Amino acid sequence: MNPVAGIGLRSPHLVVIGRERPATGFLEIHAENYLAESPALQAVEQLRADYAFSIHAVGLSLGSADGLDTAHLARVAALVKRLEPAWVSDHLSWSVSGGRYFNDLLPLPYTEEALEVVVRNVGRLQDTLGRQVSIENPSCYLGFADSTLSEPEFLSELVRRSGCGLLLDPNNIVVTAHNLRLDPRDWLDGLPGPAITEYHLAGHATNDADGEPILIDDHGSTVSDGVWALFAEVVKRFGARPTLIEWDTDIPPLGVLLDEAARAAGMIETVVAAGGRDAARAA
Amino acid sequence: MPLALRDLQAAFAAHVMGGDRPDLVAVVAGDTIPAAARLSVYRHHVFESLGAALAATFPTVQALVGPDFFRDLARTFVGHTLPVQPVLTEYGSDFPAFIAGYETVRDLPYLADVARLDWALNLAFHAPPNGRLQATDLSTLPAERLPSLSLALAAGAVLVSSRYPLDRIWETSQPGAASETVDLNTGASHLLVLRRPDDAAFVSLSAGEAAFIAALDAGISLERAAEAAFQSNPAFDLSTTFARLLSLGAFAALQ
Repeated sequence: MNPVAGIGLRSPHLVVIGRERPATGFLEIHAENYLAESPALQAVEQLRADYAFSIHAVGLSLGSADGLDTAHLARVAALVKRLEPAWVSDHLSWSVSGGRYFNDLLPLPYTEEALEVVVRNVGRLQDTLGRQVSIENPSCYLGFADSTLSEPEFLSELVRRSGCGLLLDPNNIVVTAHNLRLDPRDWLDGLPGPAITEYHLAGHATNDADGEPILIDDHGSTVSDGVWALFAEVVKRFGARPTLIEWDTDIPPLGVLLDEAARAAGMIETVVAAGGRDAARAA
Repeated sequence: MPLALRDLQAAFAAHVMGGDRPDLVAVVAGDTIPAAARLSVYRHHVFESLGAALAATFPTVQALVGPDFFRDLARTFVGHTLPVQPVLTEYGSDFPAFIAGYETVRDLPYLADVARLDWALNLAFHAPPNGRLQATDLSTLPAERLPSLSLALAAGAVLVSSRYPLDRIWETSQPGAASETVDLNTGASHLLVLRRPDDAAFVSLSAGEAAFIAALDAGISLERAAEAAFQSNPAFDLSTTFARLLSLGAFAALQ
């Protein structure tokens, strides 16, 4: 079974992809960019015949104590119904408080209270869509002193209670682990591997925080060597899954993304051939 | 003392917006990177990413004032007007009014009108392209009904009028446009912004045509809208204007 690697569909590439239809495993769109009747949505509808799609939401704010925004949820549900994507996902984070939207993936304390909030919101999302969604581990720049669970423990318990899938992002693991002084390989221990539906890969930047390096998940460069190494470890432990190359800052020509996706596909093939578990579900 | 999640999120939100929240800083795990420096990563991203969203929606404003000045302008706007939902192309409806009241751009008196044009083009781009009135739709109506007909503008169609030559200002601000001085005293402009099949664009209207469109948009019947247009400009030609507007897809299909 061939592993599948795809790319995040970004507006500067819409025309060239529509014209040339390059071979790639699948395309992922951000839900919030396709909720209006724009020419971009028309272009995506025309690509559906040739590509599998993933819808990745960035604004559902699944960690909001206020609950989900009913109007936004309805718009995302209508898009999912219209495009019938192979996968739907959003993040373990929050971005709405008091009716204001912060356009960032803000961090949660990993507590029983927060877990109940996320389980409730993910449950409402899955009930509304009538399907499973996958939740992505975020890039974190801070942790909360009140947290009683580790991030992987929180995700495992979320999977167990809500029945959601996991979208595992090795770049986010590397960023979080560096920033919060964790070991990225330890982070993988205890994750429920069969729940993983998709991998994400992207580049990160290194900034200065009061004289110390802090890694920033800016999706603005090629995947780093450290992230490729962790990705190989992830595939070895959990098997092949559809894998996405994301790029959002200083977006390069399409060929750069396709090359990165080909590299990911090649790495999956190599690791699986070397004896890693080949998950039949990856097809 | 742990904060309840709702309170923690409200404190985080207040901190991002520049408020002093020691209760939040106290629950963030700090080490060699202090809690405040960690929190500032999020504050920075909120302001930068929303500023970038405004730059994408108001590209002509940015071209006129330059990226550095625009960033400051956008940061100030973001500081008191956050989005109320996550679709960023729907964020910024208040930005033109904010610019109109912004002291440091007083020397660019047309800038708020340029912002209104950018916003109208953005709305038109995201409007549905179908449901347009066709000439054949009218041919099925009894002729005596036409004068009393009320016509709504198509989704995304909007009239942007300005005392300045907005079309010339816009054209000379486009990427690759030759550097050119626009004489601000060349008079008012009336632009009809429209969703086209693959993009959004505007056409220039005469004062009479603009009065006609404005009257129709206010729900006034075809006959009375034409009278208003004649009063505004005695050279107004109803049949030529009406045919032009129909071919542009300016009207919504009859209900």
